[in-house]
Amino acid sequence: MRGKVRKLSPPSERQATGGRMQVPLRPEIDTGTGATSGERARAMIEIASVSKRFETSGRKSHLALSDINLTVNDGAFVSILGPSGCGKSTLLYIVGGFVAPSEGVARMKGAAITGPGPDRGPVFQEFALFPWKTVLGNVMYGLRQQGVKRTEAEAQSLRLIEMVGLKGFEHFYPKELSGGMKQRVAIARTLAYRPSVLLMDEPFGALDAHTRTRLQNDLLNIWERDRKTVLFVTHSVEEAVFLSDKVVVMTRAPGRIKQIVDIDLPRPRIRAELLLDSHYQKYVVDIERMIDDGRDDAEHS
Amino acid sequence: MTSARNIVSKLSPLLACLGLLALWQVAALWLDTESFPTAWHALQTVPQVLGDPEQLLNILDSIRRMVIGFSLAVLIAIPLGLAMGRSARVSAFFNPLLMMIYPVPKAALMPVIMLWLGVGDASKTLVIFLGVSLPVIYHSFQGAKAVEEKMLWSGAAMGLSGLQRMIRIVLPAALPEILTGCRTGLVLALITMVTSEMIARQSGAGNILFNAMDMAQYDTVFAMIIIIGALGIVLDAAFDKLRWRLVKWAEPHQEILLGAS
Repeated sequence: MRGKVRKLSPPSERQATGGRMQVPLRPEIDTGTGATSGERARAMIEIASVSKRFETSGRKSHLALSDINLTVNDGAFVSILGPSGCGKSTLLYIVGGFVAPSEGVARMKGAAITGPGPDRGPVFQEFALFPWKTVLGNVMYGLRQQGVKRTEAEAQSLRLIEMVGLKGFEHFYPKELSGGMKQRVAIARTLAYRPSVLLMDEPFGALDAHTRTRLQNDLLNIWERDRKTVLFVTHSVEEAVFLSDKVVVMTRAPGRIKQIVDIDLPRPRIRAELLLDSHYQKYVVDIERMIDDGRDDAEHS
Repeated sequence: MTSARNIVSKLSPLLACLGLLALWQVAALWLDTESFPTAWHALQTVPQVLGDPEQLLNILDSIRRMVIGFSLAVLIAIPLGLAMGRSARVSAFFNPLLMMIYPVPKAALMPVIMLWLGVGDASKTLVIFLGVSLPVIYHSFQGAKAVEEKMLWSGAAMGLSGLQRMIRIVLPAALPEILTGCRTGLVLALITMVTSEMIARQSGAGNILFNAMDMAQYDTVFAMIIIIGALGIVLDAAFDKLRWRLVKWAEPHQEILLGAS
């Protein structure tokens, strides 16, 4: 069966430095554990020299990702930000094991990723719920698959459904829910099987502005509880800055990392306060400028 | 208000039936020929036909062949259609074959099949099988092809293997479409059943019909048409009920609520 991560001998020496140019820094605090081994232990995902080429019709090929190097530490909330077509989703799918890189390797806890697995839980823009299952059935699915007994799986799922604010909707079918509610179910369904990493592919992209804001807040609240590692793809600068510890800014055609920005804003973050915060505003403006520069580059070349 | 409308919509098939019978009655009285008995007369003949043990056995034989042909077809066509929908290679292999068979009326193959398998059950069941298979394959194929990739990815991330994803995600996701194919297949099963018995006249409902025709027993001819027609209507209605139970999650919101209350 695919979906297992193959253990590899020690992670290669290649460090994730490509395209990195850190803007206002929060010093990389590495408490106690000391030196490089501690740094290693904290790395949850390593992406080393990953490129992805898609074969298109007419013997042409399209370079979607070019030489991506990125390390995501355990417990970090990292956003990948870029215009549509910059390959940011493809990068996420490579980490998910849904798409194989053409070159390079992605590792999860030091082991090369060869396929999907329950240690990496995806949440898609399209929700991708199982329409023949109720809300409860969807949330329970992963737990049952892992052999958790029905009563136990049910109890855990009910707690999660309550946590995402859908108490009372347990026996509804996805068809009967709004977009925001569907995405809440999808998040609960993925959280249920306790992946080490959440892979979120523009999860709020299909929602209206109001719903989007509410889900962002709720996601942060949920995240504050257990600080799971999150890789979050978005094209919204505000969303990326509001949620993340680190924003990876990408350029398009081919997709490269332009800059990695550390977001040094205190947590827990309260939206109403943050929107008035000059640091927050500066991050947003700076990153927007970065993306505009990228666009100019692309147009001139 | 709504309940009155409900009653009307529930009764409308019955009203349509009665209307058709009335029309028949009037036409038969007006034409007044021996080869066109009145509806009333034909209806009176139905219990006679069904009361005759030999005729009844014949009809049950037909139904048995139909059930076997239909079941075999569904058992083979659904996995094949799903595999074709999910694998370009499987689809490339079977598609040309099916394209060739699709437009051929399956009853037209009956003479050849009779040559190989005789006039017995095997030939007739095979023709029914062929008739049912194609729409079921086609709809299963379409259903499987339309399954959202991300849904399969979600399953893969939960640890479902390729085969598990096929059975536990592709199959239920494609079920509404598959059942549409099965419903078409069921009607085709009835049609091929009668046609096969017209060609290989040895037993069955089609045989009774044509024997009666030869012997100018027009009452029996029309009674058989009523019986076969009623069989079709009952099977279709029963299947639709089953379909609704299985895929109510895919039906419009309102109907689900009605079903739940």
